[in-house]
Amino acid sequence: MKRTEKITAAAVMTFITAFSAVTLFGGRCEIPKTDKKALLDGGFSEGLMNCTAENFPMKNKWRSVGAELSSKVGEPIVNGVYIADDRLLSIGSASLEDMDPAAEFVNDFTENYDGAVYFAAIPTSTGIYGDTLPSYLLPVTEKQQADRLYEKLSADIRKIDAYIILKMLSDNYIYCRSDTRWTSYGAYCVYRTVIQKLGFIPVSYDKYTIRHVTDSYHGNLYSCTSYMESKPDILDIYEYDDGTVIEECTGIDRDGVRRRLIPYDESNSGYELYLGEPMPFVKIRTTVNNDKKLLVIGDKSADCFVPFLTKHYSEIAIISAQCADGDIEKYVAFDDYEQTLFLVGLDSVAEGILDNIK
Amino acid sequence: MTYSSLLFIYIFLPAALGAYCIVPKKLKNVALLLESMIFCGFMGLKMLLFIMLFCAVNYTVALFIYSIRPKIKCIPMAAAILFDILMLVSFRAGDFSYLHGFMRLPEGAFPWGISLFTLSAIGYLIDVYKGNIKADKNFVRFSLYIMMFPRIIMGPAVSYDIFAVALRKRRLNIAEIGAGLTLFIKGLAKKVILADQLYMLYSASMSGDFGSTSAAAAWLGVISYLFCLYFTLSGLSDMGAGLSRCFGYRFSGSFSYPIFSGRIRVFASRWHIQIIHWFRKYITRPLSSMTDSPILSKLVFAGVWSLAGFWYGFSWGGVLWGGLMGIAIMTENRLRKFKLLRSNGIFYTIPIIMILSVFLALGDVSDAFRCLWTMVGGSGILADSMTAYLLRSYAVVLIVAVYASTDLFRNTVTRVKNSRLGWTLSVLTPIAMLGLLCICTSLMAYSGYSEMMIIKL
Repeated sequence: MKRTEKITAAAVMTFITAFSAVTLFGGRCEIPKTDKKALLDGGFSEGLMNCTAENFPMKNKWRSVGAELSSKVGEPIVNGVYIADDRLLSIGSASLEDMDPAAEFVNDFTENYDGAVYFAAIPTSTGIYGDTLPSYLLPVTEKQQADRLYEKLSADIRKIDAYIILKMLSDNYIYCRSDTRWTSYGAYCVYRTVIQKLGFIPVSYDKYTIRHVTDSYHGNLYSCTSYMESKPDILDIYEYDDGTVIEECTGIDRDGVRRRLIPYDESNSGYELYLGEPMPFVKIRTTVNNDKKLLVIGDKSADCFVPFLTKHYSEIAIISAQCADGDIEKYVAFDDYEQTLFLVGLDSVAEGILDNIK
Repeated sequence: MTYSSLLFIYIFLPAALGAYCIVPKKLKNVALLLESMIFCGFMGLKMLLFIMLFCAVNYTVALFIYSIRPKIKCIPMAAAILFDILMLVSFRAGDFSYLHGFMRLPEGAFPWGISLFTLSAIGYLIDVYKGNIKADKNFVRFSLYIMMFPRIIMGPAVSYDIFAVALRKRRLNIAEIGAGLTLFIKGLAKKVILADQLYMLYSASMSGDFGSTSAAAAWLGVISYLFCLYFTLSGLSDMGAGLSRCFGYRFSGSFSYPIFSGRIRVFASRWHIQIIHWFRKYITRPLSSMTDSPILSKLVFAGVWSLAGFWYGFSWGGVLWGGLMGIAIMTENRLRKFKLLRSNGIFYTIPIIMILSVFLALGDVSDAFRCLWTMVGGSGILADSMTAYLLRSYAVVLIVAVYASTDLFRNTVTRVKNSRLGWTLSVLTPIAMLGLLCICTSLMAYSGYSEMMIIKL
C-alpha cells in the first residue's frame, strides 16, 4: 500500500511540476496588470486564474477534451455555448430591459441629428436557430428583444426588421456554424432591404462573382469551446465590377494613429478579411459619382455588410461601437452625413455596446 | 483562489509543498503560516487583514481568559464569542452586512471559510474557559488553527486539542504526500466532475416558476440539489483533508456516505460529522445538562438543529431544515419500536432527507412550500419534455453520483485488498489518479477554475 502511495506521489507531483514549469517559464506567461483596488478587494485573483488558463500548456487540447467530455456527459453546454447537431449556439441571459438603454441612446442621437436615421438590429445565430435549444436556456428570445427595441425607438427612426428576413431564409447558409455572426450571404439578404430603405436599388445576386476565400474558418464560438467536431465555416467575398472601386480606406486606431486598410485583404484571417483589424473609426472613399455619404455605427456584424454598400456611396464612415472609447465626435462631423445607419447585433445591444460611444 | 483551480493546483500547491519540504523542521509552522497568508491574500488584502485581526483578537482574549480569576473569566469569553458571531453575521447575513459596507467590498465578497473558522475560534475559547486546554502562547500555532490554508475553506473542522496533536505528530514523507494527493484528487473529482454537472441540472430543473414546473422536474431539481450539496461539501472537505495530509497532518473526514443511510439518525451522524459534533459538544450538551425536563431537552435538541441549519444557509429555510431534521430524528427514535420501520428505514429516510433539503435549497420558506406543492403535482403537470430531456442528458451523471455516494467501492477495495484483484487495483491507483486529474484539468481549462458553488460557508 505504501508503495502505491509513493508511486502516486511521484507520478502526480512530476505531472503537476512539469505543467507548472512550462506555464511559468514557457515564455508566454504575462502577469495581468492590477491596481490597488484589485489588490485590496481580491479582484486580481480572478485575473490571475484566467491568465493561468490562457497560458496553460496545450490549453486548446485540454479544452477540446473538456468539450468532448461535457458534450457526452450531461448537457452539451460548454463555456456558455450549446453544441447542437450541426452548429454551435451561444446561450445568452439578456432580459428585455437590457434593450432600453440602447433605444434611449439612439433616440437622443436622432433628436440631435439633422439627417435620416436607420436602425437594423441583427440577430445572432441563436436568434435564428435557437428553436432547437431547450426552452429554459432562452427565457427571452432575440425576436422578443428585437420587438422590444423597435417598440422603444422613436417614430422618426426608420427600422429594418432583419429578423424576419433572416428567419425566412434560415434554410440557407446565412449564419456561420461556429460563430455568432452571419455569413456574407446572410449580410447580402439584409443588404437588399436596407439599401432600398436608404433609397437605392440593390445589386442583384447574379451580378456578383462569389469567391470562397477559406473553408476552414473557426469562429468565436469555436474559440470558446475548442470543440473539435464542430464544422468549419466558409468565408466568401462578393465582387461586382460595375466600374467603381474603393479609392481609399483608412482607419484610426485607439492610439489615434491613422492607418491604411485593404478591404477583402486575403492575408487577413477570419472576419478581418472584410475590413481589416477592428478600429474605432474607418473611412471608405469610392469612385461612385454621387456625393452621397453614409455614416454607419455598428459592431462586428457590420464588417461583412459594409462592402455591399460601397457600390452606392462615395463615402462611408464606420464607427465601431466595439472599439470606440467615448467621444466619437473627434472622428466625424455628423453634419457631413445625411444618413446614419445603426447596424448592431442584438447580443451587442444587450451587452451595452452603445455605451462606448455615448 | 479556490482549491479547484489551475492556479492553485499547478502553481501554488507545488510551490507551497516544495518550500515546506525544504524549510527546516523548526520553521515549518512559520512557513505554513506564511503560505496560508498568501493563500488568504488571494481573497484580497482587506480579507487577509481581517483574518489576521480575527486571529489576534481571539488569541489575546484566550490568553487573558486563561490568566485571570475564574469568577470573571466568563465576561471576556462572552465578549469574544459575541465578537466572533458578529463578524460571521456581518458577512453572511444580507440584512446585517454593515462590515461588508465598512470594508467597501464588492458585492458577494466575504472571507472564504468564515463560517468554519468562527466555529473553531468559539470552540477554542470555550475549551480554554472550561480548562479543557491551555491557551496557546504560540501565535503561529494558533493562527494556523484558524487560517491554515488546507483547512480554511471547508475544514476538517477539528477541536484545538486534536489540531495541536496533529501538529506535534507531523508525518511528512512521500507516502503521506501520495495518500494526501489521492484524497485531494478524489475530492477534486467530486467537485469538478460531479458537483458542477449536478449544479447545472439543479439550475435547469428549477429555472422556471413553480406554477409551470412539472412535478418530475421539481423532484429532479431537489435530488440534484441534495447530491450537488453533498459532493460540493464532501469534495472540498476531502481536498482539505488531502492537502493537510500532504503537509503531514492527518485529520479524519467530514462525511461518511450519509445519503443512503438506513435511518435519519444515521444520516445525521454521517453528515458533516465535525460540524454536527461541534454543535452537540458546545451547545446541545451544555444546554441539555441544565434541565431535567424531557420536553425541554427535546426543544433544545430541535433548537440546536435549527441553529445548525441557520449556520448553513443564513435563511429561514435553513432554520426550518435544521428544526425539521431534529424533529424527524426524535420522531424516528419514538417509532423505532415498530419492526416495519426498523427493517425498511432506507425507504423513508431518503424521501424525508430530500423533502427537507427543499428548505435548505430555496432559503425562502414560501418558495420552499411552493416547490413542495409542485412536487406533489400542484402545478397540474406531472412530467414534461424538458424533464425527459434533462433525464436523458444527465442519466450518466446521476448514475455515477448515486454510486459514488455509497460505500460500495470502498467496501469492494477492502474485501479484495489481499487478493490479486486488490494488487491490480493498487497498481492502477496512480494511473487512475492521474486520469482523474487530467479530466478535472480539462473541465477547468476554460476559465481556469471550477466556478459553480451551490453553497458558500
